[in-house]
Amino acid sequence: MSSVPLQQKNPTNFFNRFTSTVRGRRGRELREYLTAYLMIAPATLLIFFFGIFPVAFALFVSVHQWRLVRQDFLGLENFIKAVDSLTYIVLFGLGIGALFGVYVFLRRIYRFAQEQKERPWLLAVPSLGWAASVWAFFRWGFVQLPELLDIADKIRGLERTRELFVGLLGEAFRAENVYPAWQQFVLVTIVAIILTVAVTYFWRSRNWLLHLTNLTLTWLSLSLGAALLWVTFQGITQAYALAIETGEDPGIWPQLIMITSGVILLLLAWRLWNSVPDGSGRGAILKGLAALLLMLGAVLLILEIPSIVASGDPDLWEGLKITVFFSAGTVPLQLASALFLAVLLFQKLRGSAAFRIIFFLPYVTPAIASAAVFKSMFSSRFTSPANMTLGAFGIEPQLWIREPAGIVKMIGEGLGLTVPAWADGPSMALMVIILLSIWTFVGYNTVIYLAGLGNIPGELTEAAEIDGASKWEVFRHITFPLLSPTTYFLSLLAIIGTFKAFNTIWIVREGAALGTTDPFSVVIFIEFFQKLRYGYASALAFVLFAIIISLTLINNRIQGSRVFYG
Amino acid sequence: MAENVQQASLATIKADTTRRRQQFNPVNFRNLLSYLILILGSLVSLVPFLWMISTSFMSLGEATGVALIPSELHFENFTTAWERGNFSEYFINSILITVITLGGELTFSILAAYAFARIKFPGRDLIFGLMLSTLMIPAMVLTIPNFLLVTWLGRIGPLEWINNWPALTIPFMGSVFSIFLLRQFFAQIPDELYDAARIDGAGHLRFLWRIVLPLSRAPIMVIIVLSFIGSWNSLAWPLLVTNSPDWRPISVGMLDFISDAGQELNLIMAGAVITIIPILVMYFFTQKQFTESIARSGLKG
Repeated sequence: MSSVPLQQKNPTNFFNRFTSTVRGRRGRELREYLTAYLMIAPATLLIFFFGIFPVAFALFVSVHQWRLVRQDFLGLENFIKAVDSLTYIVLFGLGIGALFGVYVFLRRIYRFAQEQKERPWLLAVPSLGWAASVWAFFRWGFVQLPELLDIADKIRGLERTRELFVGLLGEAFRAENVYPAWQQFVLVTIVAIILTVAVTYFWRSRNWLLHLTNLTLTWLSLSLGAALLWVTFQGITQAYALAIETGEDPGIWPQLIMITSGVILLLLAWRLWNSVPDGSGRGAILKGLAALLLMLGAVLLILEIPSIVASGDPDLWEGLKITVFFSAGTVPLQLASALFLAVLLFQKLRGSAAFRIIFFLPYVTPAIASAAVFKSMFSSRFTSPANMTLGAFGIEPQLWIREPAGIVKMIGEGLGLTVPAWADGPSMALMVIILLSIWTFVGYNTVIYLAGLGNIPGELTEAAEIDGASKWEVFRHITFPLLSPTTYFLSLLAIIGTFKAFNTIWIVREGAALGTTDPFSVVIFIEFFQKLRYGYASALAFVLFAIIISLTLINNRIQGSRVFYG
Repeated sequence: MAENVQQASLATIKADTTRRRQQFNPVNFRNLLSYLILILGSLVSLVPFLWMISTSFMSLGEATGVALIPSELHFENFTTAWERGNFSEYFINSILITVITLGGELTFSILAAYAFARIKFPGRDLIFGLMLSTLMIPAMVLTIPNFLLVTWLGRIGPLEWINNWPALTIPFMGSVFSIFLLRQFFAQIPDELYDAARIDGAGHLRFLWRIVLPLSRAPIMVIIVLSFIGSWNSLAWPLLVTNSPDWRPISVGMLDFISDAGQELNLIMAGAVITIIPILVMYFFTQKQFTESIARSGLKG
């Protein structure tokens, strides 16, 4: 690299040339910013366009009747069809959450203002304007989106020129119902700007932008919470009004009360448990009380939620049950065997590298190939490897991936017992998929566990061994607790993975299994891909999203307090 | 992360010394038992592969019969499967899709990761945090709107998206995971290097190109390998956005072939072998880096 004086611009540097119009120290800073924005622009735009905007779009689709093409606006109907009155309860919870957000924001602003000895409350006026502007923008987006989508239909059959597209774009923008919304948005924004300028003329501080943002967020979350609660109560009242005609009691209010009190009990128990100091006599009683509250809350939730979901879409309910079976069958076994193998491999035996390669092999194998192999190994032919193995033990051939009957029921029948319908267990076909899933992921988990084991300081285990601890004691009291971050990470990953799993199941599933191998993700895909009900499928996808988020949040909460980070 | 590596290597050294101590033990019963269990585990891992390979060489009669090992090697299964399954076309498609995606993904991710790691600009942490939060969104939520979006783009623009490369590649060019991985790596490069380059008159782009990139072969390799595996595994999305073999990747091609070959197990297994080989070759060549990178990143598509 030749030494060029600092001031002289490198002529090949596109960004510098592009931005060299601004000079001086401030100018250099601005150039730096501009360079950074240009550098992140392509990736950020792509991620926004295909990763963030689609979530809003999916929400838009999910509140419509949308079979291949957009039809009527349905509101919450798709969600009601999917999970019945749980929709209202979740919306109610979100509304309360948003109102709680108001409290959190206000407390944060208040503390910060006290610290800085400021009185930023006048800024509440312009921030209300900004919040209104945000809502006006969303409203405009909501009416603009369908017009934009319609361009594709208008352009069909015509020659696609640039002029035509720009013309249609303008038409969509100026459409009767869209343009006023846009004007409104612009107007509100201008008002917000004027208010901001006016207020900051009277009151100014270094942190005014921070205060303004926080106050805007407060207003947004206040209005969101109010809107959600209003929608919920509106929906529930309507449901009751409808119920008068049919004469059925929808029973939403009791459900709402039961679930709310269940959640409150859980939160209370959590608080109480964490506030109790260890070791004191009174502490033990309080902990017992907390545990009691916890159980009470859990019982309430377990009594209520499944029965509500079950009264929604039966396909979804079946899919959820299968997903839970799939998760419960896969995750513990997979983690336990991975940990076992990792501990064995960590002894640094000769050839452990080769074993590691072999264990990892199933994980790198393309899903399509391993699924094809399992599909034929566990096929219902008399001569399939699975049936031949059974034959060697004198057991008659099974249908395997074509067997919809529950595994518990089949074993029960084999032993001459009758099993009640609720205890059928996962179907035999699903067991094959569970087996495939364990087979695939054990190696991956082993490798991660090995990395975790490598991070445990050797002094600890050595010291324990010198003190005369047996191998098992060392593992039980030192290695395993120190591995808990790895275990939590892997279990979260595995549980979420089973909720998202799709590829292998889609390949292995057979019509003869009568849908007993279709977890939630497959139910969504069928709804979308085969039944072409886009709106309903989107609503289902949001249900999945909600489940995954709650699992992550719960896991994070537990992890925060229970995991020991050495 | 550097500390972790140091700790890990310390731990390895310690483990090495303990092993040496153990080796003086004359009767190593425990080791024998470990070996037995490990071998059993490897057998479980390998049996499906062995069965697949063995079946792929059988005649049709043997494949559907009780034979475990082919009486003679039917190499023609592979050529038959290759031709009937159109594998040459699917292979080229998959490779093209991977290369185009990777080209965009690497360029955009490297630029973005560099800016996130080394330039301070307003809103940096906010944008980065927003990006990371998208990792939580399950693909099922994005599939439907993205399908509508891609159809729409194909209808209004000059370029066909459905049944063509854009739908299969462009949505995957903005990869949060790649940006995250590279950013973590770039942030570790010492500031002194940048200051020195700056004094020598290099701007950000030149510093990135001449110094940062040559230092970051490892994470770039990880991205290449993961992207390769990802495209070999992707199923739902290509199934949606393609309806003819023109741009179908190998996974969808293989799915078609499975239903097309029906009962001809030997051909299906030959197809599976064909599908696996490229990935396995890559795995064995980059094995160490590969395992380590996955262990460290903790993610795969």
